[in-house]
Amino acid sequence: MARTIVPPLASATVPTPTRVDLLDPAEVARLGGIEIVAEGVVEGFLSGLHRSPFRGFSVEFTEHRAYQPGDELRYLDWRILARSDRLFIKQFEEETNLRAMILVDASRSMAWRGAPERLTKRAYADRLAAALALILLRQRDATGLVTFDEEVRQVIPARVKAGQWTRLVRGLLDTPDGRGTAAHAALQRLTALLARRGLVVLVSDLLFDRELALTALRYLRHRGHQVIVFHLMDPAEVELAGPPEVRFTDPESPATVVVRPRELARAYADTVQREVAAWRTACRRHGIAYHHVQTDLPFGLALRLLT
Amino acid sequence: MSFLHPLALFGLAAAAIPALLHLLQRRTPPELEFPPLRYLSDAERQSARRLRLRHLLLLLLRTALIAVIVLAAARPLVPVRGGAEHQPTALVVILDNSPSSGAVIDGHPVLDRLRVAARGSIARTSAADRIWLLLADGVMRGGAREALLASADSATPDWQRLDLAQAVDRAARLVHAQPLPGREVHVFSDLQRTALAAGRADVPDGVRVLALAPAPGRAAVNRGIASASVAEGAVVVEVTGSDGRDPAPVTVRIGTREVGRALATPGAAVSVALPPQHTGWWAGDATLEPDELRADDRRPFVWRVAPPARVSSGPGAGPFVATALGVLRDARRVEDGHDVIVGDVPSGTTGRWVVQPPADPALIGQADRALAARGVPWRWSTAGTPGPLVTREVDPIAGTQVTRRYRLEGTGGDVLATVNDEPWLVRSGDVVLLGSRLDTAWTALPAAPGFVPFVDALVNRIVVGAAAVGAAEGTPRVEFQIRGADTVGATAFGLDPRESDLTPATPELVAAAFGRAAELLTDARFAAERFAGTRRADASALLLVLALLLAATELGVATLTR
Repeated sequence: MARTIVPPLASATVPTPTRVDLLDPAEVARLGGIEIVAEGVVEGFLSGLHRSPFRGFSVEFTEHRAYQPGDELRYLDWRILARSDRLFIKQFEEETNLRAMILVDASRSMAWRGAPERLTKRAYADRLAAALALILLRQRDATGLVTFDEEVRQVIPARVKAGQWTRLVRGLLDTPDGRGTAAHAALQRLTALLARRGLVVLVSDLLFDRELALTALRYLRHRGHQVIVFHLMDPAEVELAGPPEVRFTDPESPATVVVRPRELARAYADTVQREVAAWRTACRRHGIAYHHVQTDLPFGLALRLLT
Repeated sequence: MSFLHPLALFGLAAAAIPALLHLLQRRTPPELEFPPLRYLSDAERQSARRLRLRHLLLLLLRTALIAVIVLAAARPLVPVRGGAEHQPTALVVILDNSPSSGAVIDGHPVLDRLRVAARGSIARTSAADRIWLLLADGVMRGGAREALLASADSATPDWQRLDLAQAVDRAARLVHAQPLPGREVHVFSDLQRTALAAGRADVPDGVRVLALAPAPGRAAVNRGIASASVAEGAVVVEVTGSDGRDPAPVTVRIGTREVGRALATPGAAVSVALPPQHTGWWAGDATLEPDELRADDRRPFVWRVAPPARVSSGPGAGPFVATALGVLRDARRVEDGHDVIVGDVPSGTTGRWVVQPPADPALIGQADRALAARGVPWRWSTAGTPGPLVTREVDPIAGTQVTRRYRLEGTGGDVLATVNDEPWLVRSGDVVLLGSRLDTAWTALPAAPGFVPFVDALVNRIVVGAAAVGAAEGTPRVEFQIRGADTVGATAFGLDPRESDLTPATPELVAAAFGRAAELLTDARFAAERFAGTRRADASALLLVLALLLAATELGVATLTR
């Protein structure tokens, strides 16, 4: 599929009579390509912030936060521990040279949408990743990209030089929709690529083996990376609907199942809730920031989850 | 159960619609991609049992809902115990107004209770029913309800005994022949055990026999006079009644004159000597003191005082006849004379003759000619076959074997005894003909105990044309039989002695007499059970309510378990 890249020129900024980052993602997507959308979103998003949402490794102390397993002990505030017997981590002003790597799931399941008026999960992920990369690059943070399905498809090393964002966007556009998802393998390869500690952002529908994926993410966390997970779901994946009886097929495998959506809706919703809760609990246990995002959530609100 | 609109039951086929829809819906469903299939599989795995139960429950509920609606449309009529109209019924009400129903127990006539209960059954009938009323007289009265109510109301204790088993048998066969859905026989009787002791009703299937149980309380005890007959100058009175009664005084009267008293217990007989009377017919009665049943406290009797017949043995009478006449002569039952001659060939044209066939077959023709000369239209014919004597006129000889005889042929006269349905003893005018000689080579009669009484009856009664004193069932009275200016016989009427025993039958005896399916019921139970076999109520409203409940349940299951 041919895709065109429009450079992120200052003059090409999207006219924003309103906050683009707060509009419906599908409506925003109709404004133009990824770059235009991302810039519009970032402009709107940053106009609502006074400082970067990302905190890195700085020498200027800002605030405390509760200790989470995986945090480095050197940032533990020993004075508070001695006084109150409680564990707090000292946080600092952002590091000027944060290395961020954005992982975008390009598997076949991501190319799905529950309604024509919505974005596919992949399209939503691309735009969210582009916006995120733009924010990071504007902060002079080195930002890279990995796209993967069964294999790692694209690897764009983290750089901060000019044209990096364009490369990142091209990387997104050049990655076709894949087949199955092997996040574990992609994440393992990523650990080899990320020698320096930094930020890892995973954007995926997480339709793969949770334990294997968590093993890799936990490893990254132990290597000192800050890990953020965006769990994307189409609203139709949260609430089951459809014809009276339907044969659902898995786009990534030959598995099929015949169900009556009306009968199974409640049990399915419970299962989804359990799955999201399981991901959230597991991530929190390992100091991984987890965000459940539905593809009808405005990009600005999705980015705001990071603040 | 029956239905007002049975054709609507074809709609039950619609009950298969849910199952058919279920099968039809199993066509190939549309196919859609759905990435989180693993969540769906987990949810289905966890819900599989619940969904199977739900599907089964919904299928059953929907099938039942359709079936119930169809059944309601067919307007089912279900059996109920009370309050509902019954289906057309053939009913025989047996109101036992036999003499025992006139007993007064604890101050209340038995018949009053029976009449009220019978009235209840008749009054509950409808225009679609066919009803009969059977009283003790044995007449099966059919007709309109009002007419039968009037008959039941006017029923009084009759003098005839009712054989209940036979009556139930008749009634059951009658109602069984009626093409109506219901067939019942209601028995209102004091259920004397003597009324049920003989016979057994053959009740066809489908006929309900309901019998009113005797009223609770003490068993009625009673005694009555079973018989009273005159013999040898005394009246023999037999007393009957309930078991265990003390002796009771029996008073014997002739006209209004008391002629004797005696004490008698039920089952025993007493003899009361009668004073000598002039020649002629006399009547008297034996009475007991009043008790629960008044009808059997008096029984009339009748006897004839006649001069002894003057008898002589004619030629060929034989030694047995001569001996019997000698005995009767000693007992002053006969005297010597020529009013009656016993022989084998009548000679002369006057006088009363008792003739037997001559011992020599060669003389049969001569004897027949002599009979013809006297104008007797009977003659001895060929030899007949051996056989027992059958007679109602001369009780002492009934059943006695006859081994040799001549057939008696002729017309007119009275045939008094037969052998093998052929005349054996015939009276024609002044002549009595025997088919056999009164000799042991011809018949066992001369050696039987009844021989002398038979000869007595021949010469004193039969040959003169007098009838025996009889006894019959009926209002206690005496009726005389008149021939010309002569009284030739009499009958004393009285109660059947079995009516005096008021002991009620046991349930086992009732079941044995009416069949195991018969129901012995108290008054209240009888009122509840009558027509219960055909009492029907329209259950469609109930079914519609049930359908509503099923629909609500189906809705609840379909929505709440989604």
